[in-house]
Amino acid sequence: MAGEEIALEDDLRLVVFRLAGEMYGVNVASVESIGIMAPITRVPRTPSYISGIINLRGRVTPVVDLRRRLGLTEAAYTHDTRIVVVEHNFEQIGLLVDAVTEVRPASTGEIEPPSALITDVGTEYIAGVIKAENHLIIMLDLAKVLRREDRDRLKRERVS
Amino acid sequence: MGLNLNASPEDLKVFLEEAEELLQLVEEDLVRLEKEEDTDGLIQEIFRAAHTLKGSSATIGHQKMAELTHAMENVLDKLRKDELDLTTQTMDVLLECLDLLRIMKDDIARDEDSGADPSSLLARLKSIADEVALVTGAGQTPAPAAPAATATPGGLGWQELARAAEAVQRGQSVRTAEIVFSEDCPMPAVRAFQAIVALEQLGEVLGSQPTMDEIEREHVQGSVAVTFANAVPDEQVRAAIVAVGDIRAVTFKPVNIEGQAAAKPDAPASAVPAGDQKRPADVKSAPARTTTSHTVRVDVGLLDNLMNLVGELVIDRTRLAQILQQFESKSGNDDLTAEMSRTSVHIGRVSTDLQEEIMKARMLPVDNLFKKFPRMVRDLSIKAGKDIDFVMTGQETELDRSMIEEISDPLMHLLRNSVDHGIELPADRQAAGKPRKGRVVLSAAHEESHIIITVSDDGKGIDPEKIKAAAVRKGILTEEAARRLSEREAIDLIFAAGFSTNEKVSEVSGRGVGMDVVRTNIERLSGAIEIETAVGKGTTFRLKLPLTLAIIKALLVNVGENIYCIPLSSVTETLHSGRDQVSTVKTREVTVNRGQVLPLLRLRRLFGEPEAADEELVYIVVVTFGGEQVGLVVDSLVGEQEVVIKSLTKFIGDVPGMSGATILGDGRVGLIIDVPSLVKTAMAAAD
Repeated sequence: MAGEEIALEDDLRLVVFRLAGEMYGVNVASVESIGIMAPITRVPRTPSYISGIINLRGRVTPVVDLRRRLGLTEAAYTHDTRIVVVEHNFEQIGLLVDAVTEVRPASTGEIEPPSALITDVGTEYIAGVIKAENHLIIMLDLAKVLRREDRDRLKRERVS
Repeated sequence: MGLNLNASPEDLKVFLEEAEELLQLVEEDLVRLEKEEDTDGLIQEIFRAAHTLKGSSATIGHQKMAELTHAMENVLDKLRKDELDLTTQTMDVLLECLDLLRIMKDDIARDEDSGADPSSLLARLKSIADEVALVTGAGQTPAPAAPAATATPGGLGWQELARAAEAVQRGQSVRTAEIVFSEDCPMPAVRAFQAIVALEQLGEVLGSQPTMDEIEREHVQGSVAVTFANAVPDEQVRAAIVAVGDIRAVTFKPVNIEGQAAAKPDAPASAVPAGDQKRPADVKSAPARTTTSHTVRVDVGLLDNLMNLVGELVIDRTRLAQILQQFESKSGNDDLTAEMSRTSVHIGRVSTDLQEEIMKARMLPVDNLFKKFPRMVRDLSIKAGKDIDFVMTGQETELDRSMIEEISDPLMHLLRNSVDHGIELPADRQAAGKPRKGRVVLSAAHEESHIIITVSDDGKGIDPEKIKAAAVRKGILTEEAARRLSEREAIDLIFAAGFSTNEKVSEVSGRGVGMDVVRTNIERLSGAIEIETAVGKGTTFRLKLPLTLAIIKALLVNVGENIYCIPLSSVTETLHSGRDQVSTVKTREVTVNRGQVLPLLRLRRLFGEPEAADEELVYIVVVTFGGEQVGLVVDSLVGEQEVVIKSLTKFIGDVPGMSGATILGDGRVGLIIDVPSLVKTAMAAAD
């Protein structure tokens, strides 16, 4: 397709971040803010992918370690580590990522199904991929990433 | 139609606020009066309130209110002198006066005359007061003969002199103000009283001629002399006194304390009226009142605005931090950026504190809500012909202001239900082998991450069969569906829309807007309502409400990298115990404290932290849970602090052993331990 047409279809803006060497994207509309690392209070008796809670502008905000959540190898925090704060279920949730690289336009038409993808991440968390110049941007399905199926399971067990 | 009052809008606002406070006080005291043994203090307080109200209503020119409070005062005066016994009739008349005063107050607020007419109440009050006069035959006691002649100047007894001497030591000056009222002053006693109140605002009032007692009995001629101590210049004191109105002149005379103190032993001068004996206590209570009033009335809307503004400030703080970051990346880490970074951190801390303080300002003890219920229950039970003992507990439990407003109606409804439908008539109770007097209990308490408010009665309970029958009759259920319901499901039907089992509709409840509205309101606050009932035994409604903004006092401790807050209400003591004093009994660590074996729980282990290196000493926080004591082993103690409980967020959800989180002074997040749930789960895991 011609470049013009693509430009016309740029109906999305993505926050692009890096995680274990791969690039990921979420719709900027669901991102509230991007912050630097803050002291995280670990909450005992919660799944390991929940890093803990932070004080985000006076609000207690949970932080999810995306590497752990997506089953990637763990790494120490660096200077580049960021907390991408997204809104989910009317609540703010922080996502720990290795680095935020850019905010870029995209069009929904560019998003391809994740089937052709070779990645360490389970496809259940992926909404699709976008082919950028020399790499892929993996679009995350936030609703699924942030689903507490461990708790759903607990609830089911309690009920039955 | 307007009331044509003689007051500016600002004055009226002050008047209305004061009046509301006084009326509330009178109401509480009147209801307590019926229940409590020691009534002297209460009557005195009611008398004072009526008196103040008389004064202020006269000032704004509301004659009817002044007349009514004046008549009330007469009856109250006789009550406090034991010339009159407190009967239910007197009580009813006083309460009706109160209601009428409320109506008048509301009229003033709207500047409308709803035609509230005190004449019948005035007549009834007069007949109560006159009856006394007939019985005692005493009539009016004559004014005491010029006590000023024999009393020490300024009318000071030796106790007052001692206080005067203390005031002088504090650097205050003791003076007597001679206040002369203008000749056409309609109520000099009221003005005298107001002048004394004005002086109390500025410092300590030591005494007056005529005495407080005499002023209250209206024995005031053209002037009053008030001896007071403060460090306020004469002119300012004069201005405060003159502001009372109807005052012609104020002159000051210094009081020489030393010469007076020597005169101490001749205190019981014969001409001092009997009422004077009481005076020191009266006068003393007045400064106490001024010192407790370190409070200011604030519009809730103002608090909400403040809250929003702080929210903006907090956002700007974050912006500032971001800008600083960019600044740093551009110009490196020079002195200026370092300074800016420090300032930015400080602003951050201040705004967080500010936010927290405003949140605290929004908290109120539920007492603010509860206090209107005794009167309501009293009136309802009299109307329904029931004899009810109404008990409230946990009034000090704090709730967010908005929450208090929201739960007012549901609670009122539940209480009405208990009185109307729960408690049986005295005769029925007796027949059922119960005490004639029913009991309704309203209680509040913090529990885990919630506030629990219960309304329980020892009445007839709810019969699931009757509920089912009523549901079928009202067409809510088919007979078939009703038969299949469990007892619990049947009882839950009372929450169904438009359901009311009340056969005869009473004035206050059973109007169709029933339990369904209560439940909706509670659920809107993300709360829950539960019902427990047993036929013949009683019913308990249990409201469980989130306490997102509740505040607790907590002991802060270190465990691993985290700070945990242990509610002080469950902490008994803290121990600093030697390593060798800890022993193991059947896989469980224990220590001996005050001769008792104390089971220990290591919080590091419970919270999945790596075990600490063996220290010589261990810090133990002894907590009480269900009457048993358990020692929580922590790394170290940080201190005590009030913390604002915030929820752990929906995403994290309920965590066993934790009731929430709080933002600490340094901006970090601390976790709040839920002692019962922590101990329960830990013990269960160990067994």
